[in-house]
Amino acid sequence: MGKPKAKIDINKCLACCGCISVCPQDAITWSGGKAFVIDEKCISCAICIRTCPIGAISGEVY
Amino acid sequence: MIYDALIVGSGPAGSVTARFAAEAGAKVLVIERRAEIGVPVLCGEGISRKIDAWDMLTGERWIAGRMDGARIYSPDKTCVALGAEQAGNETGYVIYRDIFDKELARRAIKAGAKFMMNTKAIGLIKEEEKLFGVKAKQFNEELDIETNIVVGADGVDSKVGQWAGIKTRLDPKDLETCAQYTLENVDVKDAYCEFYLGKEVAPGGYVWVFPKGEGIANVGIGILASLSEAGMAKKILDNFIKNDPRLKNGMPIRFLAGAVPVSNPVETVRDNILLVGDAARHVDPITGGGLTHCLEGGKIAGEVIGKAVKQNDFSQEILSEYETKWKEAFGQKIKRNYLVKELLLDMDDKTLNHLAHALKDKKFDEISTHGLVKEVAKELPISTKLKALLKHGSKIKEIKNQ
Repeated sequence: MGKPKAKIDINKCLACCGCISVCPQDAITWSGGKAFVIDEKCISCAICIRTCPIGAISGEVY
Repeated sequence: MIYDALIVGSGPAGSVTARFAAEAGAKVLVIERRAEIGVPVLCGEGISRKIDAWDMLTGERWIAGRMDGARIYSPDKTCVALGAEQAGNETGYVIYRDIFDKELARRAIKAGAKFMMNTKAIGLIKEEEKLFGVKAKQFNEELDIETNIVVGADGVDSKVGQWAGIKTRLDPKDLETCAQYTLENVDVKDAYCEFYLGKEVAPGGYVWVFPKGEGIANVGIGILASLSEAGMAKKILDNFIKNDPRLKNGMPIRFLAGAVPVSNPVETVRDNILLVGDAARHVDPITGGGLTHCLEGGKIAGEVIGKAVKQNDFSQEILSEYETKWKEAFGQKIKRNYLVKELLLDMDDKTLNHLAHALKDKKFDEISTHGLVKEVAKELPISTKLKALLKHGSKIKEIKNQ
């Protein structure tokens, strides 16, 4: 069992791309106007969670 | 069809690059992953009056308001006011960014550039390390676009930069995470751009109020990602609005989230590849403003592309003229202001208040970062960072106190 991954609420995401820009693992991708976490790449560091200006990213990592 | 230049991203840097490359005779295609140029707006929408002399925009539809000046508020609400002449460098116009971007695209199209919407770049096409084009996807259809040069005008999360092997990932201390409302029914009467500083107001950043006309304003916040918690930007901004009697009855007609690089610039040239705009980190690390650099840098990039096409040489050696020229135009300023950003981060609220008290009655001929830093130096014990900055700044035009 790996650590829980960051999860982006696509109903909240406004695609500012801040999370994508700071992710150290390139684990977040842009598609159709929203950001998505690639679970296999996420290392649960929570940098994206702290960065999101509107709190659209959650995860027990935090 | 083999293009001379494929530009990924139709923001200001992309469109201006496209225009000047096309005017110089290059075959240019711009691809945009979104469905409309300039939408959603990801910007505070302030720009310097410097652009008046640049022949970049036609008409006036992009102007929301002309500013009379700027007010900077310290944590204890001491106001340092700057008149139009002094503040014009940073706050000349408040604009409609969606129209602004379309006007820039229009100039590019007039010059002969082609545009494709809903088209996302998904990778470079290379054979034995030589670049031949870009793999893209329009709706569900994959296309191979052949080109000699790829321009990454693809914003803060630049993929082109990453594919080119340029370090584009940002440290959280080099990213401002932002939220902004456009509020209708606010009691903001005069044409002053306002900036509010302080650890409680906006950690590592500021709150801005930019009037957009009668009773309407952009009210936004940028905080440093390294000092942020989940959802903090929106939370503090909501609180700011609730506690400002002029703003609390405002009704939101737009909300946006944004991310602004406030880092040192990155390398911007490889064989067959250029980076412009936010992808190149062409943003002032103090203000987070990048529009003027995007226009200046885009023009240089377009002209250099034109020369490369004439010589039929797209090597890093030829394209590096772009990097040399943007460094001359604004690279020094970005480097210096990055040092100032670090200095400001070290200041506690007490120091900022102290500084505002010292500056509030001074009249400046012009707003100059070096001048402000000299004032800081008078007020504060000299730190190592400040020494480095003054050394750096001695090359830069001095401020004259009246």
